[in-house]
Amino acid sequence: MSTSTVTRTASPLNQLVKALRNAHVQFIVFGALLCLLPFLAKAGLMRNSTLSTLAFVLIYAIIALGLNLLLGYSGLISLGTAGFVGLGAYLAAYFQDDLGLGFWAALLAALVIPTFIGLLVGFVSLRVRSIYLAIASLCIAEILLKTFEQLDWFTHGTAGKQSRFPVLFGFQTDRSTVFIIIVVALVLGMMLIHNTVHGQLGRALHTMRSSEVAAQAMGVNVLKYKLFAFSMATLYAGLGGALYLFFLRSSYPSTWNLFMSLNIIAMVVVGGLRSIFGTVAGAFVIFAVPELVLKKLPVIGDVAGLPYIFSGLLIVLVIMFFPNGLKGLADLVVRPFRRRGQAPTPAPSQPETEEVAPA
Amino acid sequence: MDLVLQPFLRSLETGSVYALAALGIIIVWRTSLVMHFAQGSMGMFAGTAVAFVFNRSGLPLWQSVLVGVAVAVALGFLVDFAIIRRLKRATAVGKEIITLGLIMVFLGLAPIVFGTDPMLLPRFIPSGDIKLAGANISYNGILNILIGVVIAAGLFLLLQKTKLGLAVRATASNESTARLMGVPTRSVTLLAWAMAGVLGMLAAVMIAPTTTVTPTFMNTVQVSALFACVLGGFQTFYGPVVGAYLIAVLSNFLKLYVSSVWGDQLMYLLILVFLIFRPNGLFGKTYMQKV
Repeated sequence: MSTSTVTRTASPLNQLVKALRNAHVQFIVFGALLCLLPFLAKAGLMRNSTLSTLAFVLIYAIIALGLNLLLGYSGLISLGTAGFVGLGAYLAAYFQDDLGLGFWAALLAALVIPTFIGLLVGFVSLRVRSIYLAIASLCIAEILLKTFEQLDWFTHGTAGKQSRFPVLFGFQTDRSTVFIIIVVALVLGMMLIHNTVHGQLGRALHTMRSSEVAAQAMGVNVLKYKLFAFSMATLYAGLGGALYLFFLRSSYPSTWNLFMSLNIIAMVVVGGLRSIFGTVAGAFVIFAVPELVLKKLPVIGDVAGLPYIFSGLLIVLVIMFFPNGLKGLADLVVRPFRRRGQAPTPAPSQPETEEVAPA
Repeated sequence: MDLVLQPFLRSLETGSVYALAALGIIIVWRTSLVMHFAQGSMGMFAGTAVAFVFNRSGLPLWQSVLVGVAVAVALGFLVDFAIIRRLKRATAVGKEIITLGLIMVFLGLAPIVFGTDPMLLPRFIPSGDIKLAGANISYNGILNILIGVVIAAGLFLLLQKTKLGLAVRATASNESTARLMGVPTRSVTLLAWAMAGVLGMLAAVMIAPTTTVTPTFMNTVQVSALFACVLGGFQTFYGPVVGAYLIAVLSNFLKLYVSSVWGDQLMYLLILVFLIFRPNGLFGKTYMQKV
């Protein structure tokens, strides 16, 4: 996001404001602030359970970032996200604990293998019509779920796989350290998405978004870029799975069901398509609000299906009335406060279309 | 027990269930161009309503099913009227995500409205079976197969021979042209959603006696119905019906002769492999996209 603000005075404050315009600086500052949270918890200013909830919000945000690239830029739906996340989690546990290969090998396995499977699935299904990816990924998720239940040597079946905190550079980590690892992964993930979207790949994806046929005519290999977007989504899902396992230290097959995939779609939709910070906010709304707020409400708080209704209704309402999600809301709030006399606000890097995704 | 005919007859029974659900998906797809992911959950909701009425009020089963029809029609109307119709600006993907959201809404709503206890729903014909060349099939099984075949055939007649069917087909082939020609496309779409709801409810009532009525009891049906559409192709109305029966047969025989645990999973893989060779399904024509 390059800004063309004319600096009238080179005061330190102005320079700071300018630096904060840089997306990468924003990501790092955001990450640094998040790194303070474990210390708050240690000092007793925040409950440990709240810290856990926030850790899961960040993990879901990573997964949703990958899906946002897929849904926001290529208009493809994946219903298999949970399957790939689960695969990442089990692979991390298998490489770290059963094979004893350590943190990096576990992380690598959780990144590479789901991505490879994603490429295969994408190759089979993307040649026909976009919607086939949703069905094919649903099918892979069903196969994976069955594998998690049945493949005892790999997953310990329904009894659940137990793991432990990883050892990193010869240093035994704990909850707080893993939280910081998650934050680092999130910041790196945000940067990667940002660079992808603003590079040559991003331009191709933008072109595809407005018209696939036109993109094809311009020499963009549509299948290649759709495959790329889907493999990125599975890569982020695998990463999220590994982090999930490192933080929770256990994994049960029942976690990786269709509703987790639907919840992640809800995070992307609620946060705003093609918005990086929006996705994080979406993850917070969908995961943390039911945990921290809805459960504590009187009377309706005990109702079992409440989080489902909450996510489902939000999806419907956001698409009907607020196609840009939380990001659109933020733009609406911020706009009147932008100082006059300043150079016009940096043009959004993409036209704010009212449509949700390309046909 | 015959080891070929017996599972084949049983497959026809489940195939009818899948066929009804798949018909609902394809009708919505052809008229609204939306992949109806919530077909199973809406069927689940209406089916749970049937079980609820049957268990609580003591009405006979067929009257409870009539209540279910009313619920299903109301849900279909509501979804199209309150949501889908208002989505002028959203594209197909947006609408599909809406149906994904609806899955969660109905899943969360069912236990709140009908209670959290799992319910049972009896067969239409409680007992009795006939022998057929060494295989057994229950009267209820025959009824289920008949319901599937008769409804599918009736729907084809409706679509091919009546004015209403012509309107549906016109809307399916090109909505804006159909509207210009005076076809009330909005009513056609509304009707399609209601029909999908009723078909889903029937599928739910037919599959319910083999399991318990819980919020997730239609999941297999939903997945199988989607695959039936993929296998049969989205361009025809009969393709998905054939696909549904094929899937049921394939799944039963794989479970019986290859692996009772991995049968369904093997079938999913086979369908994916099949897609490589015939991406448009069995009866699909090559899909042309206009600029």
